[in-house]
This record gives sequence, structure tokens and C-alpha cells, in this order.
Amino acid sequence: MKAIDKVAVGFDGSHDSRAALLWAARLAAPTGATLKVVHAVGLLEHARPSGQENPYGDVRALAAGAGMDPSGVEWLEVDGNPCSALLRMISAPHSVDLIVVGTRGAGAHSGSLLGSTSLELVEHSSIPVVVVPRQEP
Amino acid sequence: MDGVRDLHLEDAITYVGSPEAELEALARVHTTKYLDELEDFCRQGGGDIDPDTYARSDSFTAARRAAGAGLEAIRALERQGEGVAFVPVRPPGHHAETDRAMGFCLLNNVAVSAAALAAKGQRVLIVDWDVHHGNGTQSIFWDDPRVLYVSMHQWPLFPGTGKAQEVGGPNAVGLTVNLPLPAGATGDVVRRAFEQVAHPVIDGFAPDWVLVSCGFDAHRADPLGELALSTGDFAQLARLVRSFVSCPGRLALFLEGGYSTRALRSSTTAVLGTLLGVDVGLEPPTSGGPGQQAVASTESARRLAVAGLEEARCQR
Repeated sequence: MKAIDKVAVGFDGSHDSRAALLWAARLAAPTGATLKVVHAVGLLEHARPSGQENPYGDVRALAAGAGMDPSGVEWLEVDGNPCSALLRMISAPHSVDLIVVGTRGAGAHSGSLLGSTSLELVEHSSIPVVVVPRQEP
Repeated sequence: MDGVRDLHLEDAITYVGSPEAELEALARVHTTKYLDELEDFCRQGGGDIDPDTYARSDSFTAARRAAGAGLEAIRALERQGEGVAFVPVRPPGHHAETDRAMGFCLLNNVAVSAAALAAKGQRVLIVDWDVHHGNGTQSIFWDDPRVLYVSMHQWPLFPGTGKAQEVGGPNAVGLTVNLPLPAGATGDVVRRAFEQVAHPVIDGFAPDWVLVSCGFDAHRADPLGELALSTGDFAQLARLVRSFVSCPGRLALFLEGGYSTRALRSSTTAVLGTLLGVDVGLEPPTSGGPGQQAVASTESARRLAVAGLEEARCQR
């Protein structure tokens, strides 16, 4: 089995995505794996004032809190819906070995089809996907 | 509609209705599972589908009427055998995929009309000049040799698809044409991209119908895009798509994005005025922006991708 060197984590600032980031950071800390924190940028988000970067706070500090070296954390903004943005991480130049997501992202409703990134990822990914269970806030 | 009213052509305009599209017509491009779930979601009151896309209790009906307006416009053109149809509907459609609402879009209006025409044996060209790539339309017709999809768009930008190397599936190699342009690209670059890359493919395809995903967010005043087109450039694009039509009454434009109300209004007037032969005040066409190199790269990347797929097909 190939070693897990690079891990992509879906992140939209939601409680579930923070749980996914913490889980991935705890996995990466002892192994030295790098973390690519992927934020899928929607259409409206392009209206964000220029110069304003990551609006969700310091994900490196969050990962460091889980014992990870923050220099191993990369913040990536990728255009598109969360599923396709994360699936694009599988191919070069990113070539991640594992994808980690929360159960539900921000704005997703409780139905089974619309907005279910985790289900869709599991169906379409060619590499392992970890869906971190929901934890009470 | 202010952009239409600004033409002062009340006597020359026929307004057609927007009946709900039949489920059979929608099912040509969307899965019945998706349609059922979307209807059910709206019936329960709606809500956020993703951070961009919201639905209310009446959104499914509104989306069906938007798709139905396109079908009705096509029927009107078929009856009259002349004229141009403009379908100024909301919600827009070109981001909606077979089983996914996305980017403000619930149902893919232009795809529903194109699929209806294709089902009748017509060859359909879809030109998409919205600043965002029409990922939904591309994926719906990816492997369909009856429909040629040509998209000009800013890249990189939402939705992250639309690279030059995306040229179609094994049954439709070369029938997806993407013209990705850098931020700041001006009208001269857009025209060159169409002439150099898309025109030969369109000539070879010989469409019976031309449908336009007519977004106006490539205008330089738009807050969500960074292309630098003017109303004069949109007028030239209108002349260009009209040149692809082989006989009268076979051109329909479907409104997609456009987030500066002023630019949306003046660009609508520019395009419809040009197609109807009305002299409207236009901003001058633009030139001098970046992207000439991108056009050359697009041409070579596309040629390589098509050759690779055709070689793979021969080896099967």
C-alpha cells in the first residue's frame, strides 16, 4: 500500500469541516504528511473584496493545535463545487493520497442527493476517502 | 426587459408565454431522480442548495417555466420561420448538470431546448459567451454528436472547468470547444479565439440551429467577472453568431449571468438591436488586452487532445 504523504481536506468553515481538518491534522502530525486544505470557491465568492484571503481564520493554527507542524499545511482555493474541487486534487500536480471531509458542508440541506459532497466523493473518488462523523458542537 | 424596451420596437416584438416545460422534455437532460428530489425540496419550502444556489417553495415551478419559455420560443420560431428569439428568464441554466443544481441554476434551460431539437434530428450549435464556463451544458452534451458546444469564458474562474483540452467524449470528439481567456481579455482577443479556433469546427459541423447562452457578465462593469468587453463587443458577437445560422428563424438567445444591472440592460439592447438592425448607441469595441498567447495555446492544446482521442479510438 502506498504511504500517505499528501492529504486533501475539504474546508468551508463549517463545524463539520473543522472536525475533518482536526482529524486529518492528527493523522498527519506523527507521519509528516502534508495537508492541502481545499476551499471550493463558489460564484458569489468572487465578489469578495480583493486582497481578503482565507476568510475562515488561520487553518494553520487549527492544525497546529492538533499537533501538526503548520509549515506542512497548504491553503488552496479551487473554483467549483466542493466535490469536483476535491476530485481534482487526485491528479497532478497535487496527487494527494487521501481525501478527508466532514459529513455536511455549509449550506447543504438534509436531503440525500443535493449538496451531499461526501456521498458523491465516495462514489467517484479513485483514492480512499475518509468521512469524519458529525460531532456535537 | 428594460434592455428590450430601450429598443422602442414594440410593433416588431412578439411576446410568447412561458408554460412549464413538460417533464418528458426535462428528462432528456436531467435524471428523474434529480427532478423528483428538486421538486420535493421546493415543496418542503426550499433553502440553500449550496452557498450560491437557493430555492424557495415556488422555485421548481419557476425553473420549469424558464425551461418552458425556451421550448415555447423555439416553437414560435418554427411556426414563423423567421426572426430571433430572446429568452430572458430566471433562474439561469448553464451551470445545472444532469443531477446537480449549481451556480444559481436549477434546470439547464438551453440544454432542454437543444435536446428537444436534437430529438427531432436537428444539429444544434450552442455558443456560450457567459464569463463563466457552462459546465452543465458541456457535461450534458459531452458525448453527444448532435450538439456542438462552444464556450468562451474567463479562466481560471468558477466553476473550474472549461480547459482547452476538454474536447468531448469518444462519440463526440472535438464537439466541445473551449476558449479559456485570461482576466482582462478584450474583444479583439475574443474575436480572434472564435475565428481561429471555433470557426473551422462550426463550419464543419454545419448546424441547423444556433442557441446562445447569452450571459452579459463578461462586460467590463460586471462585479463577478474580469473580462473587459463592451456593448460594442457584444454587438460584434451577435453578428458572429448570426453568421453561423444557415436559414432565417433558427437563432435563439438564452439569458444566463449578468450582475451589473446597467451593463445587463445596455448589453441586451446592443445585442438585440444589432440582430434586429436597429441603430443603438454602443460603446466602442475593445482591444489591447491580454490573451493573444492564450488563443495560440488553446489551439495547440486542443489539436493535441483531439488527435490523442482519435488515435485511442482507432486503436480500440
